Amino acid sequence: MSDLHATAGRQATPEPPAAGNSHVTTAAVSIRNLSKSFDDVEVLRDVNLEVKQGDVVTILGSSGSGKSTLLRCINWLEQPERGTIHIAGERIGMNADGRPMSVKALARVRARTGMVFQSFNLWPHLNVLHNVTEAPIHVLGQPRQEAEARARELLDKVGMSHKQDAYPNTLSGGQKQRVAIARALAMQPEVMLFDEPTSALDPELVGEVLGVIKALSAEGYTMVIVTHEMAFSRAVSDQVVFLEKGLIIEQADPETFFTRPRTERVQRFLERHQ
Amino acid sequence: MNASAWHMLLEGAWTTLWISGVSIAMGVTAGLILALIRLARVPVIDQLLVLYISLARATPLVTLALFIFLSAPTFGLQLDRNVAGILALTLNTTAFNAEIWRSAFRNFSREQREAAMATGMTPWITFRRIMLPQMVITSLPGLINEMSFLIKGSPAIAVIGIVDLTRVTNRISAVTYEPLPPILVACVLYMAIIGGLVWAQRVAERRANRLAV
Amino acid sequence: MSNWQILWQARDQFWSGFLSTMTIFGCAISAAFVIGCVLLYLLEGSRPRLAVPLRVFIDGMRMLPFLILAYLLYYGLPSFGIRLDAWWSGVGALAVYHGCYIAEIFRGSRLTFPPGQIEAAQAHGFTRSKMFLRLILPQIVMQTRPLLGNQLIYALKDTAFLVIITVQELTAAANSLSGTYFIPTEAFIVVIGFYWAVSIVMEVIVKQCGRFGSRRGFDNV
Repeated sequence: MSDLHATAGRQATPEPPAAGNSHVTTAAVSIRNLSKSFDDVEVLRDVNLEVKQGDVVTILGSSGSGKSTLLRCINWLEQPERGTIHIAGERIGMNADGRPMSVKALARVRARTGMVFQSFNLWPHLNVLHNVTEAPIHVLGQPRQEAEARARELLDKVGMSHKQDAYPNTLSGGQKQRVAIARALAMQPEVMLFDEPTSALDPELVGEVLGVIKALSAEGYTMVIVTHEMAFSRAVSDQVVFLEKGLIIEQADPETFFTRPRTERVQRFLERHQ
Repeated sequence: MNASAWHMLLEGAWTTLWISGVSIAMGVTAGLILALIRLARVPVIDQLLVLYISLARATPLVTLALFIFLSAPTFGLQLDRNVAGILALTLNTTAFNAEIWRSAFRNFSREQREAAMATGMTPWITFRRIMLPQMVITSLPGLINEMSFLIKGSPAIAVIGIVDLTRVTNRISAVTYEPLPPILVACVLYMAIIGGLVWAQRVAERRANRLAV
Repeated sequence: MSNWQILWQARDQFWSGFLSTMTIFGCAISAAFVIGCVLLYLLEGSRPRLAVPLRVFIDGMRMLPFLILAYLLYYGLPSFGIRLDAWWSGVGALAVYHGCYIAEIFRGSRLTFPPGQIEAAQAHGFTRSKMFLRLILPQIVMQTRPLLGNQLIYALKDTAFLVIITVQELTAAANSLSGTYFIPTEAFIVVIGFYWAVSIVMEVIVKQCGRFGSRRGFDNV
């Protein structure tokens, strides 16, 4: 994992927003007026969020606040009822005319995001290396050799190159999650989405995964992270978003959020979690 | 038993093996196709398939073989015995295989499919690269078990005059007037074939368990 | 006269074929059930030296096609001076063959039988056979009823093999009718309908037993 910092250095270079068209922005992720319900329960209510390139945004909130749903809307694993989401300026899920995208077009936009799941979701029939190369070869059409060379680099980055021939069922939770991170990185996504990446891990394994994510943030990756780890959120974020019953009730830089929260709700939340 | 009796027995075993083998190959493939069609839930076709599967599971192979072989000419089709036999075995095993495949589909982890879609795989690539390879591994024990059942049911094709491993014992004893030895040898040959499949099924089960993360 | 009318006039033949199949099935499956229970009891361990040969016998039967066993009884036994007619060979082969399958189903369920119950029974002074009959067997039968239901359907289908050793049953009836009047399609559709109906009735009965079983709490032990 040592070369993580050696290769660090890519700086976030936000470009000025394109004039005229309000939907085309250079934000890595731009969420406008997003609403979503399951049956009759509103899980997201008119959510707006901009994630600038190179930024790390952590989403906090108690369980059931809608934070995982928000993350899963970004790559259209959940379909919102209202609102728009743009990934690096490109709308996901719907065409400009408001009709659902074709499965191919949707897959192409999804390929610009990378997702890391709470339960890892590695593919058990493929070994570690092939878990990482599967999508670059069969989605991006990369030549196998190139994909494998890049996969080895990424596995090295997450400290898993010694396990490249192992199958997922022989790995620990922390190792699985690090492979899952390499798998998502292999697609060279515009934004990495982390859905509670350490919640399914034994406490002693949490550190190795958070360490990898921290190193990625130092390299300038754009990331949206749903998490329960407060100290981690504070250390890694450029922006902290607090979700409550589907509403963003507080959004601030980590310093302000953790030391001078505006709402009583967040104060109570922080007291309980520190 | 003399040399020619042994020769006939082996020929009978070969007939059993190749007719079963062809039926297995066709039945496994057709079962997969039917399972896929049933997943699409096309209104009328779905009910027809349910009816077919229910009928095929209840119909004895002997009855099915006779039905196909005897009634084909009334539709103006002259079926070769072997073709009729293969058709009967295939129609029977396809119904069971379709259910095996379908349960593999329905039990496939939603999360793994999501992980595939999140990397930008289309549903077709997800099916071909992520789902199918795993479904083959998880279905294989069930499919091999069904192959054993097919071999055990294969003597049914004797009823339409195919000289398989069971029927050949009649032919031999008609000459030797000693029915017991050829039947016993046939038993041993069947045990070897099905024993091999049982062994393969255990290996497949071990592989399938390894897939469970 | 349409083909269906011919069949209607020959309905007695179908009916007697159907009754014959059901008689064979009923006798064979009752005997198979008893054989399955006896094999399970013998595997309980009161006679340890029997266990291995019995297991070999059960596994051996499960690796044979049913018809070859019927051949063995019908064509093979006369070599030992035992001459069974086609009907008895057929019923005997069905009973032994499916008895072994039922024994294997029971054995699988016996492996997961809670040992605490047996200890409790021993503590109450049950004899081995009383414990088996009153405690183990009823629970195992109730627990394995879906598998037993499947086995019933297999046994029903295997009765059709007996046409090959000249037993007069349902498929034989269709075969002879289709030969006499040359109406194979209709004759076999009727016969397949019979098999189908019986299978469905058996499935319904097994499901009803399931309701009874879960009411009595057999599923939660």
